[in-house]
Amino acid sequence: MTHLTMEQLLALREPGLEPGVQGWRDHASACDICHAELHQLDQRVARLRALPTLSPSRNRFAEVQARAQADQWRRRAITFSLGGLALAATVALAVVLLPPSPVGPTVAQLAEQQELEDIISQSQQLEGAIEAYNPDRRVTDGRTATVAATLEDRLARVDQQIQLVDIMDQRVRPQEALRLWRERIGLLNALVDVHVTRAKAVGF
Amino acid sequence: MEVFRLADADAVLPRARAGDPAAQEALYRAFEAPVYNLARRICRTTEDAEDVLQETFFEVFRSIGRYRGDGSLWGWVRTIASSKALMRLRRNKYRDTDELQDDIVPLRREDNALRMDLETALERLSGTARAVVWMHDVEGYTHEEIAGMMDRTVSFSKSQLARAHSKLRHWLGSEVTQ
Repeated sequence: MTHLTMEQLLALREPGLEPGVQGWRDHASACDICHAELHQLDQRVARLRALPTLSPSRNRFAEVQARAQADQWRRRAITFSLGGLALAATVALAVVLLPPSPVGPTVAQLAEQQELEDIISQSQQLEGAIEAYNPDRRVTDGRTATVAATLEDRLARVDQQIQLVDIMDQRVRPQEALRLWRERIGLLNALVDVHVTRAKAVGF
Repeated sequence: MEVFRLADADAVLPRARAGDPAAQEALYRAFEAPVYNLARRICRTTEDAEDVLQETFFEVFRSIGRYRGDGSLWGWVRTIASSKALMRLRRNKYRDTDELQDDIVPLRREDNALRMDLETALERLSGTARAVVWMHDVEGYTHEEIAGMMDRTVSFSKSQLARAHSKLRHWLGSEVTQ
């Protein structure tokens, strides 16, 4: 007599009736060995379900929360950036490009304009690097998450200030725009360091 | 599997969606143990399981606005946890060149003892086999669902389960006869 295979025994425990299952069921009812095997299988599954629930040895909620908050800030910053930074960059360039003097831009103003263009371009590259790294899909330890959250918090504030540059006194606009965009670059560089350095450390 | 303080979890859902930290903590406390247990049963190490726990809740808090209440909250959280645990298995496969076919974890020192209990036997299974056993037999996923999450076929899931049970039967059988 051919006894049921493990796959056939397992099929008997599945809901529904696949082709052949009724025949296997009849066999299991008639064959003491297969009946015992099926009983043993049931017992094994019952024992698996009765295994104790394992609990984590340490509380990781603070880490999860720090990361969730960092993500929330980051998403806010990105939303804010998408809506306003493109416009702010244009405005920033415009305030540097359109000098109050009717005789045209000075050498210093042209240098400021060039620097601002470079900084805005660099800012876009750094944001691209962070997006490519995709921190949302990575496991982050609590310390990294906290540092990233702090940087993203500061970044969001700088972005807000950048968008307010165009309502400032015309005489200080170019310098202020440059200062804020430089600060933004510094923060983005720090964020890249936090994420990418850590990624390298854990071998991603 | 028993879900701890499930009623509390459902009650705080609207506030958790709004990002209320206290509500998020209530959700975390409600599902921490079952999520960790699932992760630990699937993953090889406690460190991996703890990372899966963290990733799962990060995803839960991030995506909670998209949970429409079609199924149970635990079912939704569990699906995220299972996916994260399987992702971790897959990642470790590439990192450790751990074959996810039918390999057996080499005997550890404690396995040399004659006694082998169910927990030890479960740990000796390959990562994939262990995941299929746990997800099917304990969590109650169908082979279709497991195949979908593992990006494999239904036959693969059935085959993994059958092979795993053959091994468990062999290992545990010797214990029973002692």
